[in-house]
Amino acid sequence: MSDDRLLSPRNPWFTGSVGITVILLAATALGGFVLLPYAQPDLKLAGIWDAICSAAGVPKASSAADPVQPESKLTRVVVTSALPSAADPEAVGRGATLAQQCAICHGPTGVSRADSPNLAGQYAPAVYKQLADFKAGVRVNATMTPFAVNLSERDMADLSAYYAFLPRLPGFHPASDKPPPRIVINGAPLRNIAPCGSCHGVLDNKTGSPWLEGQPAAYVKAQLQAFASGARRNDISQQMRNVARRMTSEEIDQAAEWYASQPSTRVHTQ
Amino acid sequence: MLSSRRLVLAHFWLAFAAFGLALLLGAWQMFIRSPLHTWISNPEWYYRSLTAHGTVMGYVFPTLVAMGFGYAISEVSLKQRLVGLRWAWAGYWLVVVGAIMAMVPVSLGRASVLYTFYPPLIGSPFYYLGVVLVVVGSWIWVALMSVNLHAWKKANPGTSVPLPMFANVAGSYLWAWTAVGAALELLLQILPVAFGLRSTIDAGLSRVFFSWTLHAIVYFWLMPTYIAYYTIVPRAIGGKIYSDTMARISFILFLVVAMPIGMHHTFADPQVGAGFKFIHSAFTALVALPTLLTVFTICASVEIAARLRGGRGPFGWIKVLPWSNPIMLAVAFSFVMLGFGGAGGLINMSYQLDTSIHNTQWITGHFHLIFGGAIVIMYFAIAYDLWPHLTGRALADLSLMRTQLWLWFVGMIVTTFPWHWVGILGMPRRMAYFDYGDPAVATQAFSVTLSAIGGFILVASGGLFILVLVRSHRAPREDAGAYRFAEALHAPVAVPALNGYALWVALMVGLTVTNYGFPIAQLALRKDTSVPAVYVGANP
Amino acid sequence: MTTHDHIDEGARVAERIERRWATLSVAIIVVLAGMAAFAGIHQATMPQARVETIQPQTIHLTGEFIESNLGSAVEPDGSVTVRAVGQQYSFTPQCMVVPNDTPVVFRATSPDVVHGFLIQKTNVNTMLVPGYVSEIPAKFTRPGEYLMPCQEYCGVGHEGMWAKVKVVEKPEFLSMIAANRRVTCVE
Repeated sequence: MSDDRLLSPRNPWFTGSVGITVILLAATALGGFVLLPYAQPDLKLAGIWDAICSAAGVPKASSAADPVQPESKLTRVVVTSALPSAADPEAVGRGATLAQQCAICHGPTGVSRADSPNLAGQYAPAVYKQLADFKAGVRVNATMTPFAVNLSERDMADLSAYYAFLPRLPGFHPASDKPPPRIVINGAPLRNIAPCGSCHGVLDNKTGSPWLEGQPAAYVKAQLQAFASGARRNDISQQMRNVARRMTSEEIDQAAEWYASQPSTRVHTQ
Repeated sequence: MLSSRRLVLAHFWLAFAAFGLALLLGAWQMFIRSPLHTWISNPEWYYRSLTAHGTVMGYVFPTLVAMGFGYAISEVSLKQRLVGLRWAWAGYWLVVVGAIMAMVPVSLGRASVLYTFYPPLIGSPFYYLGVVLVVVGSWIWVALMSVNLHAWKKANPGTSVPLPMFANVAGSYLWAWTAVGAALELLLQILPVAFGLRSTIDAGLSRVFFSWTLHAIVYFWLMPTYIAYYTIVPRAIGGKIYSDTMARISFILFLVVAMPIGMHHTFADPQVGAGFKFIHSAFTALVALPTLLTVFTICASVEIAARLRGGRGPFGWIKVLPWSNPIMLAVAFSFVMLGFGGAGGLINMSYQLDTSIHNTQWITGHFHLIFGGAIVIMYFAIAYDLWPHLTGRALADLSLMRTQLWLWFVGMIVTTFPWHWVGILGMPRRMAYFDYGDPAVATQAFSVTLSAIGGFILVASGGLFILVLVRSHRAPREDAGAYRFAEALHAPVAVPALNGYALWVALMVGLTVTNYGFPIAQLALRKDTSVPAVYVGANP
Repeated sequence: MTTHDHIDEGARVAERIERRWATLSVAIIVVLAGMAAFAGIHQATMPQARVETIQPQTIHLTGEFIESNLGSAVEPDGSVTVRAVGQQYSFTPQCMVVPNDTPVVFRATSPDVVHGFLIQKTNVNTMLVPGYVSEIPAKFTRPGEYLMPCQEYCGVGHEGMWAKVKVVEKPEFLSMIAANRRVTCVE
């Protein structure tokens, strides 16, 4: 009983099993690659080769004829995990120099005393995206816009690197041991509100989203209201507007106040 | 007594300990997402637990059972000492180290990507490395099974390979080739990204790689169960195997057609061509064949036992079966669950019916019924049957074993039937909680509660199982005699095709190339389908 | 009859019954596969015919999935195309409106991870894989509100990813879309 005799065309097991397999394969291939494409409704085929290619899954690039263009400007920033997060000391140093003009509102150490966002320790992609949006006029603010329009691509990257480098200062906002409100840890599933914490810290972080712990309540609240009303629309594909417009005003207050009361925690994603 | 009994015991104990822990996690998940519990205070824990449950139940537990059982089969059925005992221990420790390496990042919340990996979500590289080590450990077992068989063939030229070993080696080859899909995904795609060497990954390609593993892995889980059907059950109830030839053909069919069908898991995926979905769907229908053959042969074998005990009439023989024997009970329960699960499987395999239940709770219900039900209940039976031979002590309390099997059966039905039902209603999988307060979801609340209660029954059964095994270690010593497998009614036919694998492994690899080659090659060669990785694993 | 003959006779009977059962099993499988093929062609429920690729990072910058092009659009032949994006952790538009008794095609993609696109109580059920466009035909026959959960694990906020599909009578839909080229039911 050696296997050698088995693998010979004279062995009925060999011819039988290989034969059946080949017939099955041929029959199903005929069905899948020829008959099925022709049976597909609304599929325009340029011949049998096209039928075979479409059924085999040879990709074509998506093409959209004449998409409806937006009425107002939309963000042009591409946010991926490939955006720089750790930068070299030179970028941080240059950013520090540039940041002197930001200190009036955002504080000399990146911790604001004027209900502007605290930037110390903020994720670089988050700072970069907002600067780019201010510069492009996608996000508008009477104070920020004049500063941002003059920034170069490198300036924005260096500023982001500098602020990401600064240590988050605990203590300015008193820590409290209040349990997080439901909106922050559970959201409201059937209103399509994911937990705030799944992107902004506490549970996880989504690239491009800022951490919110210790941020001024008034600022967070104002931004949520702006997203909800559509006054602010620089979020990619409405990801924040979808959430904010379905939040109640109580939930907005709870989320803003709870995050403001939290000590900063560093949430690493890489 | 087995010379490798410490090895086999080590595999079984680790398998069942891991199983017990993962079972607790599973029941906890059923509970916290049911209306019996308020929304969990950190949804991330749910996904963490889900990843651990899936990884242990899918990769660690059944692999260890197959390995331990495989070593026992090799030694008992070939009547030769295990060749390569040291290598076997090395494989065991690789699985141990791999399982721990994978579970540490999971329990820290650094790899909540579920056991199906789901790139472009990327977790800690140590999670994936751990899974790779588990697989490498099991590959040592595959090699040892092959080595042992060849040593035996050399010493016994011209003799038919004993059925248990023939099936065991078929299962090991099936696993070796099945695991290649996920191994390629892990080594070529995920690990370079997890280590930060690359920042993009083709999510579509990785889903195709994973489907190569994901379906056939079920047949790997199934192998010990089918081996037990054919070679333990008839002997345990005083019968014989109805047909040795049919048994071999069933195992060969599994080997050949288990692989080239995995794309029925990607029926709804946009990156796979419709033609390949059709081919895989047709071959999926074919894989029902070995199961249909097995059901017939086992029923016939059981009937032989009943007739030998004096059973009469077309159905009257069922009454005289040894129902007080736990093995009899287990195989009956297993067949009932296999019947329901198989019927559900026929629905999943057709593209048209699948659209109404794809990725709903139906799917989770389906594979829990097949794997947790039909397959695992036979793992219990295998353990009960082998234990006295491994410990040298009797398993005395048959009624406790029967209670355990009853609880598992009832628990599994109570868990999975409502699960299927909410799936038909469109309830999505893998959510940490649901808003049962909403009228649209409220109708599912009762079914989900039932499922959770089923989960508690399963925990009770799992606890009893461990208790039975632990108690046996304290029982008085008793020689269980030589372990033996069931014999066939008619002597096996000594043809090369039913005693070797060359032809079947060639067909298996060939069909994988025809059915997977082009989809993988074209996605792998394209540059424009890679997408940025999304890293998970916050450290709050 | 000798014992040997008896055994041979038994083996032959066993083999004959086995062959019958094997033939029956093959027949069952052929019938099942045939039913699936028949249903596929006659009910026109078939997998997406073509694979389409798209750059996921830039879908918000150019092409058919920019924000202002999402929602329902009427095609020249009177059918409706609904374009949507599934992202961590919402669908945009989060409420889609479609007319009753009209051929509808959903076109959707993902910019980040794998999501699922499932409209409850219908056969609309597909995956969104970043890098590819998913296209699903549908026809609704009962007006009302349908839930549309994401059916694939997409990260920690997965459980909050529920959109809605509203099916309205055709005249109502046409009046909604008269004023805009794209329409949604987002309040």
